[in-house]
Amino acid sequence: MGSVTRRQLTNLLGALGLVAGLGGLAYGLPALNHTLPAERPVPTDRPYEIGGGVTVVPPAGARIDVTETRPAEASGTVLFRLGPVRYFISVQPFDGDLQAAVRRLRHRITGTSGYQVTGTELTVATAGGLAGIQGGYSGPGRGGRYAVFVADGHTIEVTVSGADLDLGRTLPAIDASTRTLRSAPEPTR
Amino acid sequence: MTAEPRLRSARSAPVLPGASPDLRLLRLPGFWIVMAVLAAGAVRMSVIAGQFAAAYPIAFLTATGLFALLAVPFWFVVSELDFLEREPLGLQVVAFAWGGLVATTVSIPGSAALDDLIAKLGSPHLAADWGAALAGPTVEEIAKTLGVVAIVLIARAQVNSVLDGVVYGAMVGLGFQIVEDIVYAMGAVALAGRGDHVEPVITTFLLRGFVSGVWSHTLFGALAGAGIGYLVVRGERTLRTRIGVAMLAVLGAWASHVLWNSPLLRDGLGNGALALLAVLVFKGLPPLVLIWLLVRSAHDREADYYAEQLATLDDAELITPAEVEALKSGSRRASARWHARVRAGFRARAAVRRLQRAQARLAVELSRGTPDLGCWRREVRRQRRILTRLGHPEAIAPEGRGPWRRTASAVFSTALAVAVLWAAISTLGGG
Repeated sequence: MGSVTRRQLTNLLGALGLVAGLGGLAYGLPALNHTLPAERPVPTDRPYEIGGGVTVVPPAGARIDVTETRPAEASGTVLFRLGPVRYFISVQPFDGDLQAAVRRLRHRITGTSGYQVTGTELTVATAGGLAGIQGGYSGPGRGGRYAVFVADGHTIEVTVSGADLDLGRTLPAIDASTRTLRSAPEPTR
Repeated sequence: MTAEPRLRSARSAPVLPGASPDLRLLRLPGFWIVMAVLAAGAVRMSVIAGQFAAAYPIAFLTATGLFALLAVPFWFVVSELDFLEREPLGLQVVAFAWGGLVATTVSIPGSAALDDLIAKLGSPHLAADWGAALAGPTVEEIAKTLGVVAIVLIARAQVNSVLDGVVYGAMVGLGFQIVEDIVYAMGAVALAGRGDHVEPVITTFLLRGFVSGVWSHTLFGALAGAGIGYLVVRGERTLRTRIGVAMLAVLGAWASHVLWNSPLLRDGLGNGALALLAVLVFKGLPPLVLIWLLVRSAHDREADYYAEQLATLDDAELITPAEVEALKSGSRRASARWHARVRAGFRARAAVRRLQRAQARLAVELSRGTPDLGCWRREVRRQRRILTRLGHPEAIAPEGRGPWRRTASAVFSTALAVAVLWAAISTLGGG
């Protein structure tokens, strides 16, 4: 049996360094990320700018999750958390009508394994005059609600998810928040 | 007193082409570790591909087919960069696989985590504006550079010039680019929410494959690879200098990537063709020019060395002085092939290419000190006889207008292709 040469040892150390580098990127960064809290308090007495000129007043007791909140000029997302319940709003440029926007969201929901749309869809309206469509969905161990609005060249998608008991407790406050959605057209340059 | 003219190759470390990789590399622990990492990356990416294929089979097949086709010309260009001393195919495949399987696998969780960290330590606004510009390049450039390090670990002798580092870095970048483009295309399909449709794939293919493809990961990887090549090859410099240059190159790749992803110029110029042109010129052109200069310098240095080896043969049947000059430059090699086609047809063009390859291989074997050059000499003579029979005995580049006509034709074809692409993108609503 031959002995280990200096070259082989150097090669092994180099390769282990390589693996350590990869591990740092694939596992170290996510681990560091998990050590820092993602939630921040958010004022619930004034509108929050989501992006694309769309605002919403957050529900009482909500905290914002900065990992899924990305406000930008032409689009944006915000994730509010009310305990274990997720209240997510996404604003994206869109050139179709309301029915097309609803179909698009339904496709995305049912495209996730184990998720399906439930019940019938209802029309909803916000205090600012936005007309939309609302429905329900269910997934493994979770229930959910979705609502879609189309305004000023954007689609506004609202998804709420959580365990049934938690949803029952928080949905009134979330519904009240959804009704505060407003869209102000972006100023033209 | 006049200074002796010195070859560029003599001003730095000698070009020492290594022997082709053989079974001895199986004794290196690094080889098995790199193979294990590649296997792990393959498993992870297969799972992701399986999910795409199950949800959107037609779109996934279309995306895979289109981007695989796009990889072919890129692969050809990258592997031709080092025409004189071509890299072993197996190592090129390892570099490509590292980019497509390992760097992507690592970058997906790493980039997402860094983007979140920017939001947590800065703000969601900062992450929205600069997250993509900072998180992606930081993780991806490191992961890709480690691919060139992996090549050095398993076949150190094959990285014997800065140009070798460029080739392996570009191959890693190409693998990453192709797989990332497929993932982006599938993301566009999912976001469109219209089911298994191919329109988002086509738009992504045109936008990411063509409009921004040239400035993408292949370029950044080449720059970082040049740094690793310098670190490994330039043994006559101090370790501190070599590490400094390598870090500078990786930093350059990172900065180019940051600039390309940054929101700079995004606002204020609108979305028209002029805005796109401005973005391409100000964000994409600087790194492209930098890499082009780097490749040219490294290539010329290597070419000087091999030309010197071939000149010692002093045998016009193997190579004439004019052919040595033609062999030294990529554009002159292409001009020689073009000249052969004009004078004696396509078969002569192919024969010139084979002769040039045989001469380059002979130069490499000369440099390796191979004791028996008989088979390499016979191959050059065989190609010479074919060329002679076709009535074009010497593979030389013509003086005069020939190369300019070829360049003008290439510029016109490129402009036409860009115009057609732009029209296609506008029609698909991607512009």
